[in-house]
Amino acid sequence: MNLKELRTTSIKPLHVNPLKLSQPMGATLAFLGIKNCMPLMHGAQGCASFTKVLFTRHFNDPIAIQTTAVNDITAVIDGGDKGISEAVENITKKVTPDLVGLFTTGMTETKGDDIKGATLLLKEKQKMVYVHTPDFEGGLESGWSLSVQNIISQLIEPTTQIRKDKVLVIPNVNLSPIEVEKLKEALELMDFDVLALPDLSDSLDGHLGVKQGALSSGGISVSEIEKLGDAGLVMSIGRSVKKCGEMFHEKFPQSTHLHFDSLIGLEACDAFYAQVLNYLGSKSVPSVVKRWRARLQDVLLDTHFTLGKAKIVIADEPDSVYGMSKALQEVGASVEAFISQRSEIQDAFTCGVRIGDFEDVEALLPQMDMIIANFHAERLAHKHHKALLIRGFPNYEQVGIGLRHNILYEGSCAFLCEVNNLLGHQ
Amino acid sequence: MVNRKLIKDLLNESACSHNKTKKASCDKPKPGATSGGCAFEGAQISLFPYADAVHLVHGPDTCLGASWETRATLTSYEGENNTPLGYCTNVTTQDIIFGGDKKLADALAYIVEHKKPKAIFVYETCVTAMIGDNIDYTCKTAEELFHIPIVPVHSPGFVGSKNLGSRLAGEAVLDALVGTREPEFIHPFGINLIGDYNVTGDMWQYKPILERIGIKVISSLSGDGRIEQIQMAHTAKLNVIVCAKSLVTLCRKMQERYNIPYVSVSFYGKRDTSNAIRSIVNAFGDAELIAKAETIIAEEEAKLAERLRPYHLMLKGKKAILNTGGNKSWSIASALQDIGIEVVATCVQKATEEDVAIASEYVPIVFKNPGVEQPRLIDEHKVDILLAGGRSLYTAIKKRIAFVDVNQEKKVSYGAYGGLENLASDVCSALANPVFKLVGKAAPWELV
Repeated sequence: MNLKELRTTSIKPLHVNPLKLSQPMGATLAFLGIKNCMPLMHGAQGCASFTKVLFTRHFNDPIAIQTTAVNDITAVIDGGDKGISEAVENITKKVTPDLVGLFTTGMTETKGDDIKGATLLLKEKQKMVYVHTPDFEGGLESGWSLSVQNIISQLIEPTTQIRKDKVLVIPNVNLSPIEVEKLKEALELMDFDVLALPDLSDSLDGHLGVKQGALSSGGISVSEIEKLGDAGLVMSIGRSVKKCGEMFHEKFPQSTHLHFDSLIGLEACDAFYAQVLNYLGSKSVPSVVKRWRARLQDVLLDTHFTLGKAKIVIADEPDSVYGMSKALQEVGASVEAFISQRSEIQDAFTCGVRIGDFEDVEALLPQMDMIIANFHAERLAHKHHKALLIRGFPNYEQVGIGLRHNILYEGSCAFLCEVNNLLGHQ
Repeated sequence: MVNRKLIKDLLNESACSHNKTKKASCDKPKPGATSGGCAFEGAQISLFPYADAVHLVHGPDTCLGASWETRATLTSYEGENNTPLGYCTNVTTQDIIFGGDKKLADALAYIVEHKKPKAIFVYETCVTAMIGDNIDYTCKTAEELFHIPIVPVHSPGFVGSKNLGSRLAGEAVLDALVGTREPEFIHPFGINLIGDYNVTGDMWQYKPILERIGIKVISSLSGDGRIEQIQMAHTAKLNVIVCAKSLVTLCRKMQERYNIPYVSVSFYGKRDTSNAIRSIVNAFGDAELIAKAETIIAEEEAKLAERLRPYHLMLKGKKAILNTGGNKSWSIASALQDIGIEVVATCVQKATEEDVAIASEYVPIVFKNPGVEQPRLIDEHKVDILLAGGRSLYTAIKKRIAFVDVNQEKKVSYGAYGGLENLASDVCSALANPVFKLVGKAAPWELV
C-alpha cells in the first residue's frame, strides 16, 4: 500500500460531519407509526441505543425500540434465529405487542442472517414483519420505504372487494406527525375514508398519554393494515415511497395509484387537488381549501420581494430538499441543494443538487444568505453569520417538531412566511 | 483487531469492587431486554473530548451519523475544536466485499492534509471488525508517514457495554500515548484527572480551586484534554478518578507501570467536593498543602453558603424523591441535601451494589421498583418534588408535584461548589412553576 499515491484520489474518501442517517433508523420510525408495535433492531445494542436517543431527543417523547443485542460471540456462531427468538421471548414476557417489526443493520447483513427463516420459526408465537435494512446502503428514506413495502407484502390480506372512497396515504419519512394528520383531514373533507401507513400522527405527535408504555403509543392498527386491500385509492407522497404505492397497486390491481413528489408550494398543491378531483370526477372543493389557496397566492406575492433575492442552501433527505427547493424557487429564490443519499428524485430537481456532507455545505455557505438543514447547521450558521431554518432529523434544539405544518396550501403559507421572516431578521 | 484476552481481563478487573459478587455492569446484554449504549459509544465518550485530535470512525455512517455533536463537552483549545465534528469512512457494500483498508488509508491522508491534527483516533466498528480490516497495520503505516500519533481503538459495539468501551479506550491511550513525551520539569504536586469529560464545564468548577491550592493538572482523560499532555501523564504523582469506575483498570496499570497511586473522588455537592479536595492533598501528605487546602475549602464553603442563602428560604423543609442511575443515585442526593432539601428516597434499580451501599448512607430509603413504590412514597411522605428521567413525568403530573428531569442532557454544570447554585436554581424554578399543577387538570368535558 502506497499512501502517497492514494493522496491524489479525487473522490472524497470519508464523510466529515455527515448528513446521512441510516436505513435502520428509517425502519424504526416506520414501525413506530403502527399501533402497539415493537421495533426490533437486529444488531449490536448500540445501533438501537443511538437510534432511541436520537429520536427521543428529537421528538421529546419516549421511543419504543428493542435490540437483539448481538455480541462478538453470537455474531459468529448464531445465524440470527437464536438471538431473534430470545429477543421476542424477552419482549413478550413484559408486553404484548400486536406486531414486532424486525429489521437488520450493517453487522447482521454482513454476516448474512436469515431473518425470514427466523420470523417463520416464530410464526405461531408472534406476528412479525421482517425487513432487510443494512446501513451501508441507502439511508433514512429508503429504510422507511423498504419497511412500508414489506408491511404491504407481508401483512395486507388478499381481497377482491374495493371501496372507491377508501384511500391509503403513504407519507415519506420527512412528513411531520401533524402534516400526516392535516393531509388526512384534507382528504376527509373530500369525503374519503382515510388511513395512513405508517401513521405517526397520533403516535409521535407529542401528546400527554395516560401512561408511557413500552410499545408505540398510537398509529394505524395491525387489523386496519390487514384490511387495507379494499382501498380504491393509494396515494404516495415523496419519490422515496413511490415504489410502495406501485407495489400496492400491483398486489391490488383494481386500485388507483396517485403519486406526488411534493406537497409544498402552489404548483405541487394544485397538482394534488387536480388529481384527486379527477379521481372523484368532481370539480368542487370545500370552501376552506379555496380560501387557503387564495391566501397562498397572497403570501407568494408578499414574500417574493425578500425571497426573490435570497440565496438559500438546503441540506436534508432528498424528498424533503426537493419539496422545499421547488416551493422557494416559485418565489424566485436561488437554491443550492445537498442531499444525504442517492435518490430517483435527483433528476427532477430544478436547481443545483449534489450528494454531500456538512463539510461540502460549509464550503458553499459564505456565498449564501440562509441555510436550511438539521440542528448540526446551527454551528455553521453562527460561524458564518447566516440565517438558519432547522428542518430534518435530528433537531435537538427546538420543541414542537411534531407540530410543524408545512404542506398543502395552509402549510406552504407558513413555510414561506417563516423563511421570509428569518431572512429579514438576519 | 479485537483483543479477546484484554477484554476478558478488563471484565475480571481485580480493582473493581463490584466484581467480587456480581459483574453487574459487565454482563453480556440480553436480547430483547437491553437498553444503553455499546462499547463503541463508551470509547467515543471517553476520547472525543480531546479536541486537538481528529476522531475517525471506521464503519458505515450509522455509528457516527446519529451520535456526533451530541455531548456538551467543553474545551478551551484554541485551534479547531474537533470534538463536535464527525469523521466517518462511510463504509459501503463495495468496501465490505473488497475490504475497507484502502478507504481508511485515504481518509487518514485526507485528514492530515486538510486538518493537520495533533493525533488521529481510529475507531473500529462492528462491520469493519467482522470483515477483518487490518486497522493496526494501516494506522502504523500512516503514523510513520505522517509523524503524528494515529491510535487504533478496538472497541466495536458488539464486544459489550458502554462501560467496557470506556475501559478499552483507556487501554488504547495507555498503550499508544502515555509515556511518549517528557516534560521540561516535573511538578511535585502533579495530578491526572481521569474520567471527567467536562460535560457542561463540570471540570472548570473545581480545577481552578485545585490550582489555587498548588496542585497542577498534568493531563486529563479526557475533559478539556490535550494529546501532548496525556503523553506526559506518566510524570504525574497522583491519578484522580472522578466518578468513573470504568477507568479503574487504567489507573491500576499506571500504578504498576509508573508507580502512580490513585484516589477515587466525586465533585458533586459541597461535602463531596470538600472531601475530594482533602483526599487529593492527603494523598500527597504535604503539611503545607493540606493547610492551604483547609483554608481554601473554608473560604469556598463560606462563599457558597452566602450564595445559597436566598434559595434556602424556598427550599427549606422541601422533600424530594430521586430516581436516576449509577452513581447519580447518591451523588445528586448528596448535592440536594447540601442545598437544604430532605431526600426521602432514592431509586437504585440501575445502580451497582457499591452504589447501593453508598446511597444507603446518604438516604434513608432506597427502592428498586419505581413503578409501584414511587407513587406510594410520594403520598406517604408528602413529597414536593420528583427528580427523575422523562418516563416518570406522568407520575409527577398525576400527583401534581414538581418535576426535574435529571437524565436529560443538562445545559448547566451541577459540579463542585459553583454548580450547587445552578442545581438550587433549577430546583427552585421547578417548585415555583405552576405548570405541574395545571397540566394534569381535568378537561371541561370530564367534569361531572
